[in-house]
Amino acid sequence: MSEYAVLGKRVPRVDALEKVTGAAQYGGDVHLPGMLHGKFVRSKHPHAKILNIDTSEAEKLPGVRAIITQDDVESGRRVFASDKVLYLGEPIAAVAATDPDIAEEAADLIQIDYEVLPAVQDVMEAIQPDAPRLHSDDTKDGPARRAISTVLRKLERDNSQDHSAEIAELNAQLETIEGEVYYNISAETHSASGDVEQGFAESDLVVEDTYVIPRVHQTYMEPHVSVADVESTGKVTVWASTQGPFAIRSGIAGTLGIPLNQINVIPTTMGGGFGGRFGVVLTHVPAVLLSQKTGRPVKIQMTREEEFTDGRPAPGCVIKLKTGVKNDGTILAREGLAFWDSGSISGASIGSTIRLRGVYKFPHLKVDAYGVYTNKSGTAAYRAPGTPQVAFAGESQLDEIARKLNLDPVEFRLKNMRVTGDPVPAGPKEPKVGYKETLQAVADAVDWKNRTKGPNQGWGVAIGDWTNGCGPGGMFVSIHEDGSARIFHGSIDITGTDTALAQIVAEILTLPYEDVTISRGDTDSAPYATGSGGSVVTFTMGNTAKLAAEDTQRRLLELASERLNTEVESLELKDGRVSTIVGDPPKSIGFGELAAYSLSTTGGPIVGKGSFARKPSTPALAAQIAKVEIDPETGRIKVLKMASSQDVGFAINPMAVEGQIEGGTVQGYAWATMEEMQYDKKGNVNPGFVDYRVPTSADLPTVESVIVEVEAPDGPFGAKGVGEPPITPTLATMANAVTDAVGIRITELPMKPEKVVAALHGNGK
Amino acid sequence: MKKHPVSLTVNTDTYDLLIEPRKTLLATLRDTIGLTGTKEGCSTGDCGACTVIVDGKAVTSCMMLGVSANGKEITTVEGLASRDQLHPIQQAFIDKGGYQCGFCTPGFIVASKAYLDENPNATEAEIRHALGNNICRCTGYTKIIEAVMSAAEAMRNA
Repeated sequence: MSEYAVLGKRVPRVDALEKVTGAAQYGGDVHLPGMLHGKFVRSKHPHAKILNIDTSEAEKLPGVRAIITQDDVESGRRVFASDKVLYLGEPIAAVAATDPDIAEEAADLIQIDYEVLPAVQDVMEAIQPDAPRLHSDDTKDGPARRAISTVLRKLERDNSQDHSAEIAELNAQLETIEGEVYYNISAETHSASGDVEQGFAESDLVVEDTYVIPRVHQTYMEPHVSVADVESTGKVTVWASTQGPFAIRSGIAGTLGIPLNQINVIPTTMGGGFGGRFGVVLTHVPAVLLSQKTGRPVKIQMTREEEFTDGRPAPGCVIKLKTGVKNDGTILAREGLAFWDSGSISGASIGSTIRLRGVYKFPHLKVDAYGVYTNKSGTAAYRAPGTPQVAFAGESQLDEIARKLNLDPVEFRLKNMRVTGDPVPAGPKEPKVGYKETLQAVADAVDWKNRTKGPNQGWGVAIGDWTNGCGPGGMFVSIHEDGSARIFHGSIDITGTDTALAQIVAEILTLPYEDVTISRGDTDSAPYATGSGGSVVTFTMGNTAKLAAEDTQRRLLELASERLNTEVESLELKDGRVSTIVGDPPKSIGFGELAAYSLSTTGGPIVGKGSFARKPSTPALAAQIAKVEIDPETGRIKVLKMASSQDVGFAINPMAVEGQIEGGTVQGYAWATMEEMQYDKKGNVNPGFVDYRVPTSADLPTVESVIVEVEAPDGPFGAKGVGEPPITPTLATMANAVTDAVGIRITELPMKPEKVVAALHGNGK
Repeated sequence: MKKHPVSLTVNTDTYDLLIEPRKTLLATLRDTIGLTGTKEGCSTGDCGACTVIVDGKAVTSCMMLGVSANGKEITTVEGLASRDQLHPIQQAFIDKGGYQCGFCTPGFIVASKAYLDENPNATEAEIRHALGNNICRCTGYTKIIEAVMSAAEAMRNA
């Protein structure tokens, strides 16, 4: 890739100075004259009827300017609980006051009378007929009943012949199936290819197990915050720390019935999101309501405790999994049934259950998944939503099979992996992929074949796959009179995407990286940009930047052709100038001169435009190998080595790509070993960093990142999205390493020390 | 609530303030003085985003009351760079890619400064331990540790 001048280089990020000096303005740093502060009144029970809300004492407190409840939401959309609370910490009212401490005092003075209802926190309890119910119309058939019902419906519709005998027989069968109607179901999804029963019958070994993955919080370091200012004309301005300003604009419009063109969302620098920062109900909508009521700007900033009780974390789940193989290690069939803990609202990433197929051939596959209501806050995306959970189940079970058949876990995976053009079970054909290359790369990096281990030490390998998203985006590139270029767009940079965009534009325009600057507009000024989630930005906005830079290039060539009296075809861009490709004498003209010329002629300012809808993205694999050592006394898992490879297509900025791999891997490590939102009958019991442990620099060694580049045909310069894949394998990587070290197979995460000790003594899961 | 007079020095500027006793040093710096580089990540002293240096020691400013800072000398992230030059730790965070979203970065840089001032010859293990009070969710710490190690070297050679 050395033909590039700027791409593929470890250039410093465009936002470097503001990030290291404290100058970057995050959501909480917005301060407006006359600004009020909002605080919530939250439910003290996980499930209860609200009998009465008394705000009279709070209203008397000096400094209180407004108190709102669901009665103030004219659209009727649920912003606050009004008749029934569904989880501990659900908002019931909000207060605006002149000072955050006064707002908090006032919130404490609001009296709520409850009739407490029984609550359910566990998915497997929630699906039972005697479980407390959160919503009505929530029952669904399980897979066995569903199979019969599907045939029944077909027979009932077929009038060509008499099926009454068969129908009676099937109805009788339905009667005999027990425990196969599920309750508290929020959503379901089913897919199949081949015939799993046949696949298991032909298998030499069938392994079955149940995997339990906990609910974890994205734990972005900046808690949710917004500042809203509603003018007397009704115009709404919201300063939002969000992954998707345009999603926030449409979300506020939809929730409150405000016309889209009356809302401007000004995105601030964002302190992490990982998928959790797309929604509007947590702070944006309440801040708008309070500002509407008071006529003053209002800031709402959640505390860390509120993040844990009312955030929208990643769903936990229970996965029942069965895999059949031949003795030679050929995988034949897999059947998975997953129950996802949606919390009190629908929306858990149950669609990702299909990724139980991994990147293996599976002639026979069947996957059924249900979202289940429980008395917890709703869930949202977290880095490759749903995939770390299913990869934990799938890759743990393959590891177990490799052990039972005495196969090398790397060779076993390589043998069954799909390659370019292979059919994907319950999907289309594989496009150009680099699965085997990626696994091989991490194996080579640790010298897998010659690995050694001491007592209580072990090696684990696992993989995870993901396909980056793609969405629409628009962008302008202007050339200034000094010859420099400026990019203007509306997508959010979290991880260095602005830097990648500047590199792309600099490369195409042959400018030094330093001569390309980049500005972000708000939703009133910038062209639409898809939200920054789903590893979408470099792929989407990178393609957009390419189009905008090429449009700029076209205009520069046209102008130069006029000025130099030379055909466009004989000109090229070189070192920030337009020059004749051949010709004696050589002629050239600088971008600055062209920009000045264009300003004073009919041409006008040089503005290149890029507008992009979508292109097919290609799947990427992440593969990891860990070496661990277990202390049998304390159960502590010490990571001795962690290597993480990933097919990124083309690394536009290797330093930023490594950062994604390292960060995602450590998040996966944390999910495997320490993170878990814990609940008892009263709700979440660990809403803070003392009881909800996240890793620090003291927990881990250096992560070795291994970049693999198998070009994406439609990615900008071959690039794929890189943010999400690295978290997907780590849960299983760690579990497999623990098994290799001490022989125990932990199927219920996290592998906290006490669980490891219990398992070593034969009474763990 | 009755306000109390407090005099403190922040990054060489002296401020004479009247503040409520319930306001933290963090709130005083951010809301009263207007220095928003110091961040609030947890309000319980567990994440380190609000780390500042008080009389030479790293302190989580959400755990100290503003009135307790009376007479103290405080350094925040805004006070590290001179007019024309970044502090070597700031430069190293840029060169090594030691930040992503950047929200924890001021806390890390300030905590690193306090530690390296005390222990300029720190080993990697010591640095990993010393920064164990600061949480970063984006980087996985690899590049942060690289940055602090390289800054320590630059500071020793300066």
